[in-house]
Amino acid sequence: MTDTVVPTPLPEARPAEPRHGVGDRRTRFDALGRVRGTLRYTGDEGAVPGTAFAGVHRSTAPHARILSIDTTAASGMDGVVGVVTGADLAAVLGDRMVTGPAFADQPCLAVDKVRFVGEAVAVVLATDLATARAAADEIAVEYAELPPVYDIDDALRGEAFVHDELRPSSVFADLAHLRGVRDTNVCYEYRQVLGDTAAEHAAATTTVSATTWTPPTQHVSIELPSTTAWVDSGRLEMLTTTQTPSYVRQTVATMLDLPLSRVRITTRPLGGSFGTKMYDRLEPLAAALAWTTGRRVRIDATREEAFLLTTRHGAQVIGTISADSGGELVAVSSDVRYDTGAFADVGPRITAKSGLVAPGPYRIRSVDVRSRCLYTNKVSAGPFRGFGVPQVTFSHETLIDELARALGEDPYRFRRRHLLREGDVATVGTRMHSADFVSCLDGVTAAIGWDEETPPGDGRWVHGKGVAVGFKAVLTPTVANATLNLNQDGSATLLISTVDMGQGSDTIMAQIAGEVLSLDSRRIHVVRADTDATPYDTITAGSRSTYHTGNAVRLVAEAMRDKLIGFAAELWDVPAGVLVLDADGVAHADDDRRISLPELVHARFGAAGATVTTAENFTSRWVPYDHDTGRTEKATEHWFAGAAAVRIAVDTWTGRIRTPHLAVAGDVGRAINPTLVEQQLTGAALMGLGHALFDELVHDHGQLTNATLLDYQLPSFADVPERLTPIIVESAHRDGPFGAKGVGETGILPIAPAYSAAVRDACGVRITTLPLTPERVVEHLEDRS
Amino acid sequence: MTEVVLHVNGHPNRVAVDDTTLLLDALRRRVGVTSAREGCGVGACGACTVLAGGRSVSACLVRATRYDGVELTTADGLAEDDPVVSAFVECDAMQCGYCIPGFVLMSTELLRENPDPTDEEIIEHLAGNICRCATYPDILRAVRLAARRHPG
Repeated sequence: MTDTVVPTPLPEARPAEPRHGVGDRRTRFDALGRVRGTLRYTGDEGAVPGTAFAGVHRSTAPHARILSIDTTAASGMDGVVGVVTGADLAAVLGDRMVTGPAFADQPCLAVDKVRFVGEAVAVVLATDLATARAAADEIAVEYAELPPVYDIDDALRGEAFVHDELRPSSVFADLAHLRGVRDTNVCYEYRQVLGDTAAEHAAATTTVSATTWTPPTQHVSIELPSTTAWVDSGRLEMLTTTQTPSYVRQTVATMLDLPLSRVRITTRPLGGSFGTKMYDRLEPLAAALAWTTGRRVRIDATREEAFLLTTRHGAQVIGTISADSGGELVAVSSDVRYDTGAFADVGPRITAKSGLVAPGPYRIRSVDVRSRCLYTNKVSAGPFRGFGVPQVTFSHETLIDELARALGEDPYRFRRRHLLREGDVATVGTRMHSADFVSCLDGVTAAIGWDEETPPGDGRWVHGKGVAVGFKAVLTPTVANATLNLNQDGSATLLISTVDMGQGSDTIMAQIAGEVLSLDSRRIHVVRADTDATPYDTITAGSRSTYHTGNAVRLVAEAMRDKLIGFAAELWDVPAGVLVLDADGVAHADDDRRISLPELVHARFGAAGATVTTAENFTSRWVPYDHDTGRTEKATEHWFAGAAAVRIAVDTWTGRIRTPHLAVAGDVGRAINPTLVEQQLTGAALMGLGHALFDELVHDHGQLTNATLLDYQLPSFADVPERLTPIIVESAHRDGPFGAKGVGETGILPIAPAYSAAVRDACGVRITTLPLTPERVVEHLEDRS
Repeated sequence: MTEVVLHVNGHPNRVAVDDTTLLLDALRRRVGVTSAREGCGVGACGACTVLAGGRSVSACLVRATRYDGVELTTADGLAEDDPVVSAFVECDAMQCGYCIPGFVLMSTELLRENPDPTDEEIIEHLAGNICRCATYPDILRAVRLAARRHPG
């Protein structure tokens, strides 16, 4: 059941009236294949004869020089066709084997030095997978250990360095000034300065501080990463589990020094991703192996290996908030430290994009944010649903909640009073539009009955409620393209490079195109990303596709509509302005002339099965941050606004938390498909519930100790709240396709702070370290008494 | 190598396996089944679930040789109008879909044993399967709907 909150219409918004799919609860076109398991994912493609399977030998040291690699035993095993080390690849590819979106710091196999336990050091290629893996275990590596950088404190102490010098990649031009910087583990720093926080804090009447910690976690998409690469007629081709086919194509082309036309990246639907299958995972290694050996190479990650490919950033935030005697927010200071592990990945982007929202979506007189990205000798951290924002949300929502309590105010109403409204300017300097925090907050608190009495408890179980908001900017600038083929029979084929990984993008993109063309979306096929055929699209991530690719799809469909009307105008020798396209084809507005699409296209080309093609682009733009203040009039193309409210019961004997009711809301501009929007909201909320209550990667001296699904806990059926209410808020975006924006991350942002606020309400203890495990809750209860 | 006959969805498949070949690998690589999948390799996620003689088995944990001649059911062997399959489709009980065939088979097993389960019984029976997209609310609705329609 969904509650839909319709906010006051905005003067800027001009929502179109949907007629042909937009707003429908349309089932995924491939639902039956997903349910019966006949939909083919990447790993379902059988290995052709001659395939060389890869077994990866991984580092056992967190930080060490490689003294020697003995491959003799592995090479001699039956079925082994080759052993490849980092030095072998470097001999052919040189520095180009070191890749990465922000910094060229990620060798596809370690060369000279290892930087985390689990780093790929050598690969065995064999005729079957079991042999490849067994032989990889026979490789012997001799290390000379270097001083390790285990955590944020080690990284900032600056005695040992994970990388000798910073090497910005060519992908993000704004990092060029960091080239050659030495003797640091800080690979990026973002500052945001507004007003004079020192003076404001000093003059304030109430100040609250908190140091929060959100641990590293793993995405654990159930589909394991799999990549097959081969060489065909001098071209490198690949089938891989990726959310970023256009990026992978560029990376592989650069690494192999090939024109883009000689690299082909193909995809299939992903069995979940959440950020794990992005940028440089198995793909550079597979491409390097296939190119240098000439073999068809398949790399299948085990679950244990998938834990070593990427994680979510652990982050510490030291925050302070102050209010004046009237309860106005006068200052927020925030020192944010992201542990990005051995490779920066997109850590620098995460550091900036999260830093810009670190003060929270409130009217605040002064802010001082320092957000830093730190190398350590751990598994690399990269994008994970929320892109670093859940970590800062836990900080700003902890602070505002505690401030409300310090002032004797209701945490819901205190937030409501200070939240940014339409037209307000956020602390980063950018104006708010289509970010209806107030309706989200009102919706979730109404859903859980915020003002109803909290049950008294029975001495053992105590009850409480908590609320929080979430605030995120969409990745900007980005590029989306779409190509549309209208088939002569009146069906259509849409070519985009968005990857459907469960969010249902194939379904909603067809709904958008169908809406424009008055065509049933079920007659529109969306082609899977294949860089030989589908056009460039920055990435399928950051909740950007509905807005960006959705706009490209809207534009390409509008171009098609105009083209078809133009055909009819020529056919009838009338001005295009008197013709309309509707569900039955093109019609003359003033007389009874009309022609169906099959007739029209056939009349034009005289061929059954002919196609009509249009192509369009949509690119969003930003204004870069001011060098000194980190502020900008356009940090982002649009905002995400969300909220969660929860009623919990805490077992004071065991520390266990039960959830009678969790409500989650997101402003999606307009829901193209409300069913899919609700699934994103509830799915993100339940993933957030895991992060709030138990999800955590545990390290011991740099080594992951719970990297199997026997040890790593994930939300199961038993963890679902007794009531879970998704709430769609629709505050249309003036430039969104039919007013729409994305929703993939909105629901995860406010969950952990809502839970910790509810624990505070129930038990009187403020826990600032996640997750809220039973042990941790009991410890805090004991400390209190 | 030993030759075994894997009876999958009513069809016998004569396949060569060795003593250590996992049932999951035999089904995927020799028979061509796609609906049973490796998610964890340790029997903790349920993506590899198949029914053997009607009882659920984690195919990533067991040897293929033990299933010589046993009637095996995989999710793709269920008819399109099977009550569980159609209920999952109608309730949109999927996101990425990777784990869903496992949930479908667990639900089939449950409804055969207990045609009118309570929500608590459904949750208990499905609690060993992980849906990382967390489609649990829709899966629960689908199993309730299938129970209402189930011939048993």
